[in-house]
Amino acid sequence: MKYALFPGCVLEGAAAEAYTSLKKVCEKLDIEIEEIPNWTCCGASHAQGVDDLAALAVNARNISIAENMGCDIMTVCNTCTLQLRTAKARLDKDEKLREKVNNILKESGHPYEYKGTSQVTHFLWILDDHPELLDGKIVNPLNGYKVAAYYGCHILRPQEVMDHGDGKHPEYMERLVRKLGAEPVWFDANRKCCGFHAQLAAERDVLKATGQIVDSADRAGAGALVTPCPLCQMQLDMYEPEGREAVHSQAQVPILHLQQLVGLALGLTKEEVGFNRHVSAQDKLKLG
Amino acid sequence: MDVKLRIHRFVEDKKWVQDYTLPVTVGMTVLEALTQIKEHQDPTLSFTCSCRSSICGACAVRVNGNAELACEILVENLMKRYDTDELTIEPLGNFRVIRDLIVDWDPKYARIKKIKPTVHPKDEFSAEEGCKQSPEDFNKYKKLAGCILCGSCVSECNKNALNQEDFLDPFVFVKAAKITRDSRDKDPKEHLKVVVDAGLWRCFNCQECTAKCPKGLDPAGAIEKLKEATFKMGLDDNVGARHAKAIYEDISESGTLDESKLNIKSEGFFAAGLRAPMALRLMRVGKMNPLDSHPVNKEIDTIRKIVKNAEAASKEEN
Repeated sequence: MKYALFPGCVLEGAAAEAYTSLKKVCEKLDIEIEEIPNWTCCGASHAQGVDDLAALAVNARNISIAENMGCDIMTVCNTCTLQLRTAKARLDKDEKLREKVNNILKESGHPYEYKGTSQVTHFLWILDDHPELLDGKIVNPLNGYKVAAYYGCHILRPQEVMDHGDGKHPEYMERLVRKLGAEPVWFDANRKCCGFHAQLAAERDVLKATGQIVDSADRAGAGALVTPCPLCQMQLDMYEPEGREAVHSQAQVPILHLQQLVGLALGLTKEEVGFNRHVSAQDKLKLG
Repeated sequence: MDVKLRIHRFVEDKKWVQDYTLPVTVGMTVLEALTQIKEHQDPTLSFTCSCRSSICGACAVRVNGNAELACEILVENLMKRYDTDELTIEPLGNFRVIRDLIVDWDPKYARIKKIKPTVHPKDEFSAEEGCKQSPEDFNKYKKLAGCILCGSCVSECNKNALNQEDFLDPFVFVKAAKITRDSRDKDPKEHLKVVVDAGLWRCFNCQECTAKCPKGLDPAGAIEKLKEATFKMGLDDNVGARHAKAIYEDISESGTLDESKLNIKSEGFFAAGLRAPMALRLMRVGKMNPLDSHPVNKEIDTIRKIVKNAEAASKEEN
């Protein structure tokens, strides 16, 4: 099983531990990943608000490189997934738009045209589609450890583009958490938005959202919150202290990238999955 | 087969959850279930409805946390979706509740009025000649004209749930996007300026509005179109617009986001400087290193050309 990996910007920067843990986990699961050469930012859910066609063309380029590799694309960020899948859905549906974008790629000297031959999927969706990948590999089952499965927004919505499972009632991450030996907890804020994309423009509200989500997971008895999105992870982990202050809470919950939780169940240590790079709740994780 | 509806009641400041059990018939909608309860079990249960054909938008309620048109959604499908014979019915979120499932639209109409939601015809039009528009121009906003004002889009809006004072409802943004794209209007900037001031850039981009619209209008996409228009009309002097522009420009500068400079570009040097404690926090755990240089994509010349050529094509389109 081989994928063209679209890591996304934050895995090269502040969330580098999400990349190192992903590589280790994929190796253990026999998933071959090869980074898409010279990929660019997906637009981070903002570029289309500046120039929609430019944002679309940039993602058509990203996808076309993976197509040339002959692989489907694996993403590990909700927003990258939404941006790439939205571009793909629009280009696949609209022949005129595809032609226009391919002309832009061609006249700019890009060697490949967008064909629509590569699918775009998320690491979480791959594990949900292929649970057998984990069979016999869970050497350190998580022994009923209580985990809050926090999807984030862009992996669920809009359903038309992100059509894995039921966006209004998703259950697949809980299924994976159970498969790893942990116990998913129901928490009130499980489908709330972390607000990452409005952190600068609506800071006070975003910090409140951060605080509510972490507090809700804590009240449900979660020993960790796990998310498939590094942006949610950064928002909840980096701003956990400000979030506490915003909602007058005492909650301290470790915020894990999905691949970190999987890695711990596969026998990796906290250090090996890069938990030492987390900002919050360093002494609270009783795994690994 | 029976279903238990757990209905959130609210009458004269008193709140409670009341359970009603009734048999599920083939093709029974939530609205039919509510009507049966009112007719046969409890005449005090209050809700609104009219057309029963997904057109009037009067009957939207929340079922198990998701806004739905009660006249459209089948009870048996909901029982399958949630794998249960118990469904929780609440009034729409982010509305003031008047009684039971009835919500107050008056404050919402006041919010719609903020954006001056009527066409101000261009001077070339007259009462005698009317306002003519080509089918092509009509098609630019036709889809957005399909809003039935049911309120589903705001029910789970994450920004509105936290604070409604400095933001609008998604259906208001839809109306604004429609009118700013209407070729008959003489000054789209007039509407757009109000939208920017009323919180356009504070949208969390959570996509709940698009996920909940029963008419498939994509309010989140309408918000993005409004943002794009603000750049074209020079209404981009605010932190949200600068942040989006900084991200956009990073694609042409290096290919990827330069996290260390994003805040300075978005907020300015002084305001970003106030974030020094956060920077130190990130440096402490190795998430940020001021000595790191940001790499430049090997194909940056091609990437820059793609962006430039796409921008030229966008201009041509408009």
